[in-house]
Amino acid sequence: MINVILTILAPLLGGVVYGLERVVKARMQRRVGPPLLQPFYDFFKLMDKRPIMIHSLHALMGIMYFIAEWFALAVLLLGNDLLIAVFFHVIAVLALVIGASSVRSPYSVLGALRELMHMISYEPLMVLMVVALYLVIGSFDIRDVLSYEGYPVLEIPLVFFAFLLTIPMMLQKSPFDIAEAHQEIIGGPEIEYSGPFYEALYTGKWIEYIYVFTFVFLFGGSHYWLGALLVVIAFLFVNLLDNSSARLDFRAMVRFAWAFLIPMAALNIILLALWQ
Amino acid sequence: MGTLVTLNIVLPWVAALIIFLAKKDVITNFLTFLMLPILMLTAYLAYIQPHPALIETPKWVDLAITIYDFGLLAYFFYQGVIRKNVLITVLATIQIVFLIIVLLMMNHSLTPNIYVDNITLMFYLIVAIVGVPIAIFATKYMDYGEKGKHSFVAIVVWFLGVMNFAVSVNNIEWFFALFETTTLASYVMIGFRGDKEAINNSNLALWMNQIGGIAILIALMIFVKIDGFYHFTDLLSHPENVSMAALGFLSLSALVKGAQMPFHKWLLGAMVAPTPVSAILHSATMVKIAPYLILRIAPVIKGTLLAKLLIITTGYVFVVAAIIALTQDNFKKILAYSTISLLGLMMLAAAVGTPIAVTASLILIIFHAFAKGFLFVEAGVLEKVFHVKYINQMRRLIEKAPLTLMFIFFGFLNMTFVPFGTFIGKWMMIEEVSNFLQHGSYILLILYVGAGSAFLSILYMKVLGISVRKAHGIKKTSFVKLPKTFNFVSVWYYVWLLAITVFIAPFIAEFVVPIAKSIAGEPEIYATGLTLHMYNSTLYFWQIFGALILLLLIHVLPYFVKFKADVVHPYNCGENFPRHMETWNFECLAKYEGYFVAFSIALFIMVVVLGGGLL
Repeated sequence: MINVILTILAPLLGGVVYGLERVVKARMQRRVGPPLLQPFYDFFKLMDKRPIMIHSLHALMGIMYFIAEWFALAVLLLGNDLLIAVFFHVIAVLALVIGASSVRSPYSVLGALRELMHMISYEPLMVLMVVALYLVIGSFDIRDVLSYEGYPVLEIPLVFFAFLLTIPMMLQKSPFDIAEAHQEIIGGPEIEYSGPFYEALYTGKWIEYIYVFTFVFLFGGSHYWLGALLVVIAFLFVNLLDNSSARLDFRAMVRFAWAFLIPMAALNIILLALWQ
Repeated sequence: MGTLVTLNIVLPWVAALIIFLAKKDVITNFLTFLMLPILMLTAYLAYIQPHPALIETPKWVDLAITIYDFGLLAYFFYQGVIRKNVLITVLATIQIVFLIIVLLMMNHSLTPNIYVDNITLMFYLIVAIVGVPIAIFATKYMDYGEKGKHSFVAIVVWFLGVMNFAVSVNNIEWFFALFETTTLASYVMIGFRGDKEAINNSNLALWMNQIGGIAILIALMIFVKIDGFYHFTDLLSHPENVSMAALGFLSLSALVKGAQMPFHKWLLGAMVAPTPVSAILHSATMVKIAPYLILRIAPVIKGTLLAKLLIITTGYVFVVAAIIALTQDNFKKILAYSTISLLGLMMLAAAVGTPIAVTASLILIIFHAFAKGFLFVEAGVLEKVFHVKYINQMRRLIEKAPLTLMFIFFGFLNMTFVPFGTFIGKWMMIEEVSNFLQHGSYILLILYVGAGSAFLSILYMKVLGISVRKAHGIKKTSFVKLPKTFNFVSVWYYVWLLAITVFIAPFIAEFVVPIAKSIAGEPEIYATGLTLHMYNSTLYFWQIFGALILLLLIHVLPYFVKFKADVVHPYNCGENFPRHMETWNFECLAKYEGYFVAFSIALFIMVVVLGGGLL
């Protein structure tokens, strides 16, 4: 039941998380920051704006991104296979990339191509992470993971660590905010959206927060306090990293993912498999 | 059963002969169209017969095939001489010598020479449903300023018959004959245009595939010498004393036929031929012999060192071919590399050999056949109607060729996205391999599947990205009228793919699982309604439908949805718009291609030497 509620309320919850993030980030920079509900104020403002678009395909893909993102979350929370949920996320990326490539704007197109580089970095790792959870729990079912007696995070610490470093890639945080890169390509795929259509994209990003942090929560097994703690740690860590690091080149990101994170996760899985 | 199998094999041969001799437009078009219902009917009737069936053949057929063998090899020899290609001549000579040795060694066997089981029947259906429309497509394609329409269509139709024959033989010597016949067919078709490039590439295809032929002959010699039998069924019924070396050579021939690196060049060379050639080579025939062969020997090689080395090699090709595909700019070449890559995955799954892996392999074979036939047909339409060959010419295709782009989009979705068959194949592989992980092995396999599928996804998204680019605002999309034949073939594939995807769970449970069961035992896959279950995992029907609807909306909706909002130019930070925008060519990866191929050679040698136990 709770997962149905969570799925339905995901955009709201994601908005709160995003608002919280802005507050936390501001405090880390010794600013006051916006109010917690600022994302929702933005939401109402954007919805009230005159709808402007480049062309229908582009606007539509923004909306499709939002729907696909929500659906991926629904699959994660309501389905029983984590692996399928990982692949559902690709549909959202498809909508984003197709939309961003469809306009004649170099920033947007460059952002779309960089988005692909993000995918090549985190997607194999997501698969490895799910497989590692399977190895620990013996099932791909999210319900089995959440009723597992042990402590997954202690059995696959390296995988968890690798995933922690993958979160900035998925959520577009520095040093891996390469596809958005506000100072460089002005938001990448987002740049040409405006008004309600931008709002769709924006809300899609909030849902992605819930999607990612649900995976973090899974590392706690049946110990929900541990899961919650991990989510808080991951949240603070990602924001700290975001605040304290400069943006990397996309080549560096891909190299980091493939030369460091993936081997690390694979090593953990091999060791665990041998241990068992 | 015997009659139906004969019909399936002989009908295309007869039709091809009539088309070739008549050389009349009416006969060519009518007969090719007619083949579609007829072959579907015969394939279906054969499918509902009790199987597996061993079918005796008259003695003269054996003799005829032997004579045909020598004729074929003599023809290769002759081609080598007139084209002044030493390699072809030498390889043909070696084959002739080996064939004589094999024939001298061979003792009479009572095992029937034709063996029709589930896999064979599946291939009949694939050839009928996927292969024949390509021939229909070719009848119109060749009207666009190509010479020799009738002989070309005749060869395409004949090829279907050859394929049907190749998958129904039991005798490995016959299999050799048909293996080399497919080589001949591809040789003739690749060289069809007769210009310098076509000749060179057809020579390449010929000598590379001849290596596969030699490998089969060597395998045959070892089988006859050590085991005393040379039929697939005998092989499967005595798994304990089959010589590994022979199996090693047999898998080598599969790797060559399946265009696995380093023998991938011949399949790439096939793109100089008229597009239906690529369509037919990639989808229903020719390269599919490779996974077919591995599936045939899968129960015997399962768990051996040979299987493991095959897994390493094909998995490597799966990833690396996808990476190299990123660096290509020719649309047909991109498709060719993705075929090579997915063939790797099919063979990998077949070599793993557990029930679920075999199911995954079969699903990949079926869906890849449909999707690749579809994509190459669209590539042919692009080439002939819109004069587009390179992806940088695909700019703004959404305005120029909306319908064709929609079809290409759908084909690409089929190659990688969620509810479609290829995804299900990958999903099954990852879940199955996760089970093995309990023993600490196969971690490489997960990396292969995860990485390869990610690379293929970004490849397709990259190509789609460039073709959906639009000018400012909404220009009216211009619907170019396409010939009826083209539309028929496109819609045919589209509807089939859509129908199978909607009913994918019952399709897998009712059609694919029995086939896998006959190869490797009962897989733990079943369907309740439209929901697919595997072990404890479930792909719910709402997930299948949800993903399908999302993807259908993404690729169809742009043509129908027109928002009532004000249209502006892109903001673009107020800067000037560039005249053209290209896409990334991944130059940084291109320089590694040599290393990739070199490493694949090493793996290839390892398969034969270590896997075959020659050391």
